Amino acid sequence: MGYALKKSEHPSRRRFLQSALGALGLEQAAPAAALGFPGRQASRLDQAARHSRLTALPEFLRPDPFGGIVTADRNGAGGETAAHYPKNIVELECARGGYASFHLIVETAEPGSYSLNMRVTDRTGKIKTDLYREWFHRLVASGQLYPDALIPVRLPYQSHLPEPDNRIANQTAQAFWVDVWAPPDATPGTYTGQAELESGGRRYTLAIRLKVHPAVVPAKDIVLLDHNSYGDYWFSVQYPERVRQTSGNFFASDELFRLIHSYHRIFYEHHGIFHQLGYSHAGYVTPEFAPALEGEGRKKHIANWDLYDRHYGPLFDGTAFAGTRRGPHPIPYAYLPINPEWPASYLWWGEQGYEAEFVNVVSEMEQHCREKGWTETHLEMFFNQKKRYKGFPWDGDEVRFPKDLSYFKEYGRLLKKALPPDTPVKFVFRADVSWDMEQQFNVLRGVVNMWTCNESILSWYQGAPSMLRRRGDIVWYYDGTPEVTEPSSAITLQALRAWVWDTMGFIHWLAVQPGKDPWFHFDGGRTTLVYSGERFGLPDPIPSVRLKIQRNCIQDLTLLDSFKDKHGLDNLKMQATQLFNQSSPGRWWNPRPAFADTAPYTWTDAEMDRADEPTAKLFAHIDAAAWNRVRQYLMPLASEAT
Amino acid sequence: MNNETSEDPQPIEQELDHIGRVASAMVDGDLCQRIVTAQALALMFKNDPNDPFLAGDNYDVNDVEFNTTKKTLIRLARLAPFPCDVNLWMPIDGYPGKIQVVIRNVNELSQFWSFGLLYQDTIPPMQTVLDSGHRVTVKNKPGWISVLAPVYNSLGNIVGLVEVASRTDRATRPDAG
Repeated sequence: MGYALKKSEHPSRRRFLQSALGALGLEQAAPAAALGFPGRQASRLDQAARHSRLTALPEFLRPDPFGGIVTADRNGAGGETAAHYPKNIVELECARGGYASFHLIVETAEPGSYSLNMRVTDRTGKIKTDLYREWFHRLVASGQLYPDALIPVRLPYQSHLPEPDNRIANQTAQAFWVDVWAPPDATPGTYTGQAELESGGRRYTLAIRLKVHPAVVPAKDIVLLDHNSYGDYWFSVQYPERVRQTSGNFFASDELFRLIHSYHRIFYEHHGIFHQLGYSHAGYVTPEFAPALEGEGRKKHIANWDLYDRHYGPLFDGTAFAGTRRGPHPIPYAYLPINPEWPASYLWWGEQGYEAEFVNVVSEMEQHCREKGWTETHLEMFFNQKKRYKGFPWDGDEVRFPKDLSYFKEYGRLLKKALPPDTPVKFVFRADVSWDMEQQFNVLRGVVNMWTCNESILSWYQGAPSMLRRRGDIVWYYDGTPEVTEPSSAITLQALRAWVWDTMGFIHWLAVQPGKDPWFHFDGGRTTLVYSGERFGLPDPIPSVRLKIQRNCIQDLTLLDSFKDKHGLDNLKMQATQLFNQSSPGRWWNPRPAFADTAPYTWTDAEMDRADEPTAKLFAHIDAAAWNRVRQYLMPLASEAT
Repeated sequence: MNNETSEDPQPIEQELDHIGRVASAMVDGDLCQRIVTAQALALMFKNDPNDPFLAGDNYDVNDVEFNTTKKTLIRLARLAPFPCDVNLWMPIDGYPGKIQVVIRNVNELSQFWSFGLLYQDTIPPMQTVLDSGHRVTVKNKPGWISVLAPVYNSLGNIVGLVEVASRTDRATRPDAG
């Protein structure tokens, strides 16, 4: 896509930067000793004595490789944090069907080898523990080190400090992300466990206590967290070894489809979904994203389903998710390959041949999906092209000029003509909207029924998501992904805002591009939440700290929403926003600016920035512990549930 | 990456040159001059530090002129028995040395377009076409062939050029995005 308003320079991105700067300001204002975290200084580099020890931090306080906490999270290491693990016992709690997570930190008295082990005692064997080594990325801009990529490790884990492959001089601490999973049928109660470190001939232990509450996290997420991407060429860049192994036939190989499904699985297991757009701005459709066509005019038809079915079949019937903890379910949404050049050639635009080609092929797709039973997935007719990329004369993505809406009406007509009125296949017409969204909500009523809205501009239209949902439309919003240098809670803001606003989903507009060298020259991760595992000999993507924090937020949010009948949805939103940043739901909207009554193509960035100022200020100083406060409110509710 | 085959460039080059010759006769230069709106042209070179996407956000075209010309370009590309695009490039009045691609096509084939740029520097072969009216073949990128051919308006002026582009290798394919 190449969005105009989806680019980092937009105010919505500047807001995240302000947030990070706010965190830095707070940290500078408070000396490390005043951070209130005993034994966990901002950095231990300056300490003469180095000790072996095994310690832990809550998930929202990311460790650095020297025994401290990363700069962006130090504003979350305040009073409430100091009470977290006061007796050197890791106290965890979660609902059933959910995760509890923390950072486990190994420090050794001297450079050298160590061994780490961990267990949680559960006679039924249902409680599962996953351990990941945290990779410390060196930021190209500042040289700072932040943990993000998570490398799965097996227990017992044996390695050295400094960790050889991470190449950090004088590294004294290695962090591990720990996930403890309590399945929906786990027995509520308290479980105990222990982590053990062996170093320098001595053994160090850390007790773990897990409280599993009776409540069960509903299987269906209350907000869909979408991770967007474009095409699949990037696989060949990020997985060169997999390409080599397919002898030059990667894009038609089983390995390609295995990787595609693997990306769907990693996001699914983290309570998210994955989108891959399969066509370019000028309408080139990547072969594995569409059935193969042949013929022309009224004879145009689908000739071959092979690549399409290998790609989408396991996603549409859910078998791609067999063996996952969440169980096999069809993906809820997928892009169609439809664009101005597919299935009808743009040569015939405006002529009867265009309608014939479009209707023939889309009708065949509907029939194929119906016969296969692929009726759970919303199939999105979505136009991504922008006229600035010179392929077509109208903007499909983020319409600015109202005249372009006539194309939407025509495609709406064509889609209706192609589909039986009673089709069980869920075709939807999706539009990504920004400047013109308020007009489009009216003009395209009954044409477009899935809206993904620019965050900043949607913030002016309080009540719009609810209005759209009442009439049966789907409504999401989109924005960028917080960088690692922002407080750890920044990523929870996006999910919480979706829930507060009554939108049904949030889109990270690009979530699989970590940059050329994320390991030693990291750009901050604003376009990724996963990494290629190939560097570590793994054939699949690996998750990130931010993805884990987002997942835990979504499971909490879904659980919180499940209490609305008992506690009232408005009250729950009031509590959550108050705890998150001492605000209230109404303050998460901006007033509709006066210039919204003028033609959107006359608006300037400067006045749009001013219109966003109230919420920009509201979210400028979110601390790392923001979501944890909401979680602390939620857990007692989960403990009371029966 | 896939289908690492290459084809004899000679017949491809001849075919592209033939299409370029036909394009000079078929593409309506007067129509081409009316594709980009006056407002888009007026803002194309405007730099506003408070609105860095001003030009792109306001880029706009007249539908009828765009569609009519694009259809001609698609028909021309269909003359080739292999994947080929015919792109339209236009110089910009008042900005010598600058040129913009105005219409691209489905195979995303161009040796010269840089993604996201509204306008670019006119490369010497393009300037040669604009100055002389001669067709020029460019093979700057390994595996690529482009034939540049002039586009005339009703006054007989060269008002633009077409890039008839293809690849002799099939090493990579366009990607979404």
